[in-house]
Amino acid sequence: MTPYLFFQGLVLAGLIVSGILVVTFKDLLAAAIASGAFSLLLALEFYLLQAPDVAIAEAGIGAGLTTAIFIIAIRGTKRYEEEE
Amino acid sequence: MSPWMFVVTVLAGLILLAMVRLIRGPTSANRVVAMDAINTLVVAIMIVLSVVFKQVIFIDVAIVYALLSYVGVLFIAKYLGGEL
Repeated sequence: MTPYLFFQGLVLAGLIVSGILVVTFKDLLAAAIASGAFSLLLALEFYLLQAPDVAIAEAGIGAGLTTAIFIIAIRGTKRYEEEE
Repeated sequence: MSPWMFVVTVLAGLILLAMVRLIRGPTSANRVVAMDAINTLVVAIMIVLSVVFKQVIFIDVAIVYALLSYVGVLFIAKYLGGEL
């Protein structure tokens, strides 16, 4: 196993962990933060696949705008998800 | 294994350690700081990887990423501080 593939496996493991966190958190602010971390790691994965333009778009939209919009939406509604 | 890939692998291990705090963190402030640490580590990994791939254009991705990625953390901090 080359070190490149090993590093890519590490990033993909982080993507899976943060993706599961987004679904399982009941605190919506924590879920938004985990979504931001997911977006960061996704940009790194695009970068590893040698697509720098896609990585720039993902960094700008995903890391910056999406988290901010989620926070504004949480402020307008409720912070904690209710048990059904 | 080239020394640069070794550096990249160590930094990726540090990302996984920060992700432990993202999972366990009792409050949202812990999670925000963990996400910001992941942010900085991703920028460092991108710069080191541009040395590995021998591509100057990849440094531009790291610059754009560093300029845009703080916005999400800024919004979360303002939400936690009650200003938003």
